[in-house]
Amino acid sequence: MATPVLMPKQGNSVEECIIVAWNKKIGEEINEGEVLAEIETDKASFVVEAPASGKVLGYFFSEGELAPVLVNIAVIGNDGEGIEEFRPVIKESAAQAPSASNASTAVPVASGAIVQSSSFTTAAQDAPVVIEEAFGGVSPRAKRYAKRFNIDTSTVKGSGVNGRVIEKDVIASRYAEPKKTDLVRKMLNDGWEVRPNAKSSTIRSSDLRKGLEQSNVRKVIAQRMSESLKNHAQLTLNSSADATMLLKCRATLKKGASNPGYVNITIGDLIMYAVIKALVEFPDMNAEYINGKVYKADAVNIGFACDTDKGLLVPVIAEAEKLTLSELSGAVKERAFAAIDGTINPDYLEGGAFTVSNLGAFGIETFTPVLNAPQVGILGVCAPVLRPVREDGEVVYKDYIGLSLTIDHQVIDGAPGAKFLMQVKENIQNIDKLAGIEC
Amino acid sequence: MYDLMIIGSGPGGYEAAAYAGGMGKSVVLFEKAKIGGTCLNTGCIPTKTMLKSAHLYHEAKEGAELGITADKISFDMKALAERRTGVVSNLRSGVEGMLKRAKVVVVNAEAKILEKGKVEAGGEVYEGKNILLSTGSKPATPPIPGADSDNVVDSTGILQLDTIPESLVVIGGGVIGLEFASFFNTVGTDVTVIEMLPNIGGAIDSEMAKRLMQDMKKQGINFSMNSTVKSIDGDKVIYVNKDGEEQTVAGEKILMSTGRVPVIQELGLDEAGVVYDRNGIKCDKYGKTNVDGIWACGDVTGRCQLAHAATREGFVAVNNMFGIEDEMRYTAVPGVIYSAPEVAGVGYTEDKLKENGIAYKKSTVPMAVAGRFSVDYPNGQGQVKVLIGEEYGQILGVHMIGGPCGEIIHSAVMMVENEMTVDTIKSTIFPHPTISEALMIAISHAK
Repeated sequence: MATPVLMPKQGNSVEECIIVAWNKKIGEEINEGEVLAEIETDKASFVVEAPASGKVLGYFFSEGELAPVLVNIAVIGNDGEGIEEFRPVIKESAAQAPSASNASTAVPVASGAIVQSSSFTTAAQDAPVVIEEAFGGVSPRAKRYAKRFNIDTSTVKGSGVNGRVIEKDVIASRYAEPKKTDLVRKMLNDGWEVRPNAKSSTIRSSDLRKGLEQSNVRKVIAQRMSESLKNHAQLTLNSSADATMLLKCRATLKKGASNPGYVNITIGDLIMYAVIKALVEFPDMNAEYINGKVYKADAVNIGFACDTDKGLLVPVIAEAEKLTLSELSGAVKERAFAAIDGTINPDYLEGGAFTVSNLGAFGIETFTPVLNAPQVGILGVCAPVLRPVREDGEVVYKDYIGLSLTIDHQVIDGAPGAKFLMQVKENIQNIDKLAGIEC
Repeated sequence: MYDLMIIGSGPGGYEAAAYAGGMGKSVVLFEKAKIGGTCLNTGCIPTKTMLKSAHLYHEAKEGAELGITADKISFDMKALAERRTGVVSNLRSGVEGMLKRAKVVVVNAEAKILEKGKVEAGGEVYEGKNILLSTGSKPATPPIPGADSDNVVDSTGILQLDTIPESLVVIGGGVIGLEFASFFNTVGTDVTVIEMLPNIGGAIDSEMAKRLMQDMKKQGINFSMNSTVKSIDGDKVIYVNKDGEEQTVAGEKILMSTGRVPVIQELGLDEAGVVYDRNGIKCDKYGKTNVDGIWACGDVTGRCQLAHAATREGFVAVNNMFGIEDEMRYTAVPGVIYSAPEVAGVGYTEDKLKENGIAYKKSTVPMAVAGRFSVDYPNGQGQVKVLIGEEYGQILGVHMIGGPCGEIIHSAVMMVENEMTVDTIKSTIFPHPTISEALMIAISHAK
C-alpha cells in the first residue's frame, strides 16, 4: 500500500513552503525516518522525513516550487503501485478570489509526515484540512512581495502549478521591468510610448515616441480603404487611350471661339464625360456589391476623388448622364471647390456608384486605384505620355493617356471589365463626336 | 594576441586600459611620452596646481577681513613649479600602479597601426583583437604671421615659466586661455585677452560667460572681443578690434590658446583605412570607427575635448568591444572653468534651448541664498541658473558661477543624466550649511 507524503504544517500562520531539494531520485529506496525533502518557509528551514519505507514513486512538486501545507507532495510505495490517487486536487477556479463556500477543497489526509521542528503539528492531528486557492492564482508570499513593491500580479507569468504566481516570479518581474527616468514616467502618462527597439536597461526620453492622433476624416479614410482591400477582390486593368483628340478639344475649348458657352473645360471633365457615357452602356459597372447582392444604380451617380487639406473626399454628381459637358464641368467645379473649402453639403459625398480618380496632373503614368467600396469599379486617370505608334507603315509619336480600371472581381470578371475599359478608351478617342463639340 | 591594444595613455586610454584589464582582458598600452597624457602631465592637473596657489595667494592678501594679516606675502614661481612636478609625478605613479594592478602591459614607444589587428611600436609588432585609438590632441598653431616669435608660448610652454611675466597677451578666450589669464592676473601680470567671438568661454552658457567676463574685468583683465589677430611682431600683437580698427598690444609673453587639434599623424590611419578628417577620427556612439576592431575615444575623435568625456567614451568602447551594450551620450557632460570665479555647467545652455525651440522655464538665484557662500566668499559674487522643461519639469541644464561650483555641479549632472523632474528633486535633502543649497533653492523657486 503506497503512502503519500504530506507537506507538514508549520505553525498556524504558514500556508505554504518552498521545496528546496528532494534528497532522493524517483525510484530510489528510502527508509522510514530518512530525510526525503528539505523545505523552507519564509522564516526557517526544515526537513521532511519519509513516513514509511519503500521506493519513491513520484513527486507532485519540483524543486523551488511552493507547496501548500497539508497537501501531498510525494508518494512512497512499491513498484507497480499508482500515485494518481494521491495527486493533490487542483481547483479550477483558483485564479479567482476564493470564498470559503465555493473555493474549498478537502485534501485527503494520510498518515502524517514527520518533521523535526518544535512547532511541528502532524497533519493527522489536524484533519481534515480545507485549503483555499490551492493552485493557480497568486501565492500569499508573492502577494506580499507584490504589495510591497507595487507590482501588478496580473501581468506576472506564473511558474508554479497551473500557472500559479509564486514569489520568485514577482521578484523576477520586478527586476525585468526596465527602470524609467522621472521624465519618462511623466511622458508615458502623456501619450508617449516606448519605441519597440528600445533596449537599454533604463528607459530615457530618447527611447520614447509619440504617435500623431489622426483627424476623424483621416480615420474614416483609413477604415474605408482597409475594409475595401480586405473585403473586395480588386483587379486592376491598365490600358491607354490615344489622347490626340482629347488634347485638341481641350485646346480648342480653351480658346472658346468655336463652342460658345464651353469655358474652362478641363481634360478631367472630358474624361469624366466619356466615362459617364460608357457607364450608360455598361450598367453592370455602375453598381454596388453588398453582402452577396449587387445593387445596380438607377442613374449614373459618379464620384470623383478630390484632394483636400483634410484628406481625400469623393464628391458625387447624381444623374450625371443627364448633364451636358458644360453642365458637368460646372457641377464638378462647384463640388470640388466646396469640398476643398470644407463647405460641401454632406449629401453630396454619398450615393455614388462609380468613381474616377485622376492623378494625371501629378505625372502618374499608372496606378492601382482602391475601390470606393461597395462600388464595383473605379477608374484611375493618368498623365498623357508621348508614345511611338505605327501608322500607315510609319512610326509617329502620339500622346496616350493611361487608364487604370480597378474592378471587384467578386462581381465583374476580367473580360467584361476590359470591355468597359475599351469603351471608355473609344469614348475618349472620339470625345468630339460624343460631346457634340467642334474641335 | 592581446584582447586590446591601446594607443595613447591619457584619461581616455589609461582608464580604458585599467577597466578592460579589470575585466580580465589582456591589454597592451602604448605611450610615446609620459603616462597620463596631456591631462595629467601638461593639462588639467598642473594648471589646477597653479590655480590653487594663485587662489591661496589671493586669499592671503585679502585675509585681513577674516582676521588674518601677514607681511611680505610673495609668490614663488620656482616653489610652485616644484610642487607641480611633485603632484604630477605622484599622480602618475598612482596611474602606473593602477595599470600594473590591472595587469596592463605598458610599452613606452610611439605606436603605429600596420593593419587591422597589428600595431608596430619600438621595432616590434603586436597583435590584438581590438585597437583603441586615444592619442588625444595638441595645441593648434594658427597661421598668424610672426607666431614663431620667441615671446609666443602655447599651453604646454607656458608651464615652463619660472618667473612671473610683466605682461601677457592671451590669444583665444576659451577655457584654457581664461584659466591662464586668471592665474597670471592674480599673481600680478598685466593680462589682455583677445577673442574672435562675442563671448568668452567657448560653448558655455552666454549669460555665465558675460558674468565671468564682468568679474574678470573687475579684477583688472583687459578683454578685446570680436577681434582678429593679424600678426605678431616680437612682443607686439597686432589685431583688428570689434570696430574694425587696428590695435597693438605688447606682451612679455604671448599665449596662443586658439584651440586644440587631434593627434592623427603617423598613426597609420590611412594604411588601416580608418576614416578621419581635420577634426579627428570618425566614430559612432559606440566608439567604433569605420574599420571593424578599431575604436577611438577622447580628443582624437573631436567629439568633446574633455578628459572626463574621454574616459567615458573609452569605457563605452571597451564595453561594446567585449559584448556589453552601451552607448555614449553627451546630454550630461559637465564642463568647468577653474578660473576665479569658477564656472560650471551641465546640459543644455539657454542659448541651445532657444536655438532648438525647446520650451523651458528659468530659475536664477544668487549663490548667497546659501548662507555658507557669504561665510566662505566674503566679497564673492555667484549665481545658479536652472533650466527646466516647460511641459514636464525635467532639469534640462544647470549653469553656475562662483564659489566651488565645479564641486557642486555633479549633483546637477545626476539630475540631467537621469532626467529627474522638479517634484522628485524637491524631496531630496541637501546638507546645511553648504553652498550646494543654492542649487536646491534655485530648483525649488522654479515657477
